[in-house]
Amino acid sequence: MGFIFPDAGQIDRHGLPVTGIGYLPERAFYPPRFSIRDYLATLSRLAGVPPATGTLLAQVGLEAAGSRRLGACSRGMLQRVGLAQAMLGDPGLLLLDEPALGLDPAGQKFMREQILALHRAGKTVILSSHQLDEVTRVCTHVAVLSQGRLIRSGPLEAMLAERSQVVITTSPLPPGLDQELESQEPGVSATAEQVVLFGPAIAHKARILRCLIDAGVDVRRLSEERVTLEEVYLEATTP
Amino acid sequence: MRRTWIVARFLTRDLFLSLSGVVPVAAAATFGLIAFEYGMDQAQFFTVAGLGTGTICLVTALLLAARANHAWFYPLLARLPRRGELLAAIVLSSMGITALLALSIALGNLAAGRLTLDMPSALWLLPTWFALWLLAGALALPLAALTSRGGSHLALWVLFAALLFANDQKSRLLSDGPEWAARLLTVVFWPVSTLLSRASAGVHDLSYSLTLLLTLAYGLLLFVLAAQLFHGKDLLWSE
Repeated sequence: MGFIFPDAGQIDRHGLPVTGIGYLPERAFYPPRFSIRDYLATLSRLAGVPPATGTLLAQVGLEAAGSRRLGACSRGMLQRVGLAQAMLGDPGLLLLDEPALGLDPAGQKFMREQILALHRAGKTVILSSHQLDEVTRVCTHVAVLSQGRLIRSGPLEAMLAERSQVVITTSPLPPGLDQELESQEPGVSATAEQVVLFGPAIAHKARILRCLIDAGVDVRRLSEERVTLEEVYLEATTP
Repeated sequence: MRRTWIVARFLTRDLFLSLSGVVPVAAAATFGLIAFEYGMDQAQFFTVAGLGTGTICLVTALLLAARANHAWFYPLLARLPRRGELLAAIVLSSMGITALLALSIALGNLAAGRLTLDMPSALWLLPTWFALWLLAGALALPLAALTSRGGSHLALWVLFAALLFANDQKSRLLSDGPEWAARLLTVVFWPVSTLLSRASAGVHDLSYSLTLLLTLAYGLLLFVLAAQLFHGKDLLWSE
């Protein structure tokens, strides 16, 4: 953004320098006596983009509040204004810092939908957040930072699948079936009334279920237990 | 230039939408009432009102710089390719406001019969005051916290106050003080004092042109100093 200069390093996007960045700060402040419409129109003119303020306001659900003074807006409305100004000029990269912080459930849902819509539109959205449930719902890749250092990063699905397990609760297994299942597939642990699949064995759960049914076992419950992002975070950041 | 103009308009509007907007108007009204109490001829108007409106321009530029130093200003600054454009907008805005206030003072006192101007020689006000206001507006920039690095604005305030005080005590310096100090003061203040004395005497010779250029050069130098300070500064705004 050009506010604070880096000691070292640079940002690029798939090898290309980043040119347009939209930024929503964690705590956004706005000139309190300007109306939402005037403020966004000024920013549009400054960015040299057509002042499509009406469209932008509609996009963030503020079409009816354009003439409201920024000083009279609620926290949720200000976050929407912040998102609107970040989207001005159609930047390819959006940096959103705690976009859902302090929002009511409806506001959080709105923000989530907007982020997903931006993602679908081909934008790169970098979301900085401590609300890990929100992160799990919208992000494809996660980077864990601690004390200013990158501790872990990678696709979210892979991270959550790392220590996931499938638990199959059954009627008592016939004698020997537990050993047979364990010998068939690494990552299978069978006890009297429970079969647990770890790691690569999860991909073969259909075959293992068939084995159980063929052996006359009554499958009572199947549940997939995944590690949460909170657990990943705590594990990564706890020394 | 387009962006500078947009930011200048925004700053002007923001100033007058806030309580701070009262300050330049009140200063101009006070100056207009007190300085013209016993009437003023054109020669006095050139110097007294020149310095008075120059001070108003300085104060206005300081107010604008203080308002631009708030967290809510970041979306505008982020859209400026060069930070110097913000500084140019502050100078432009302060000069525009001062011009309107000076016009009001002049028209008000002309209407009240407390001011006499001889046309067209009174038009020499325009280049003379333009140079003074530019100097005042540019002087405010390095004196403002916005551009300050490591408390540089405080050091410059001390220097500025010391120069004004020394100039006030110049006669004493000439008789009792070191010769170099008196000479230095003469050199420093020569362009502005000569510009005003020549302009008020209606002399528009080579000396006038030279002092006009030197006053503009002073302004430009101060602007470059402020731009240099501001250019590499890490911006951490107050909320």
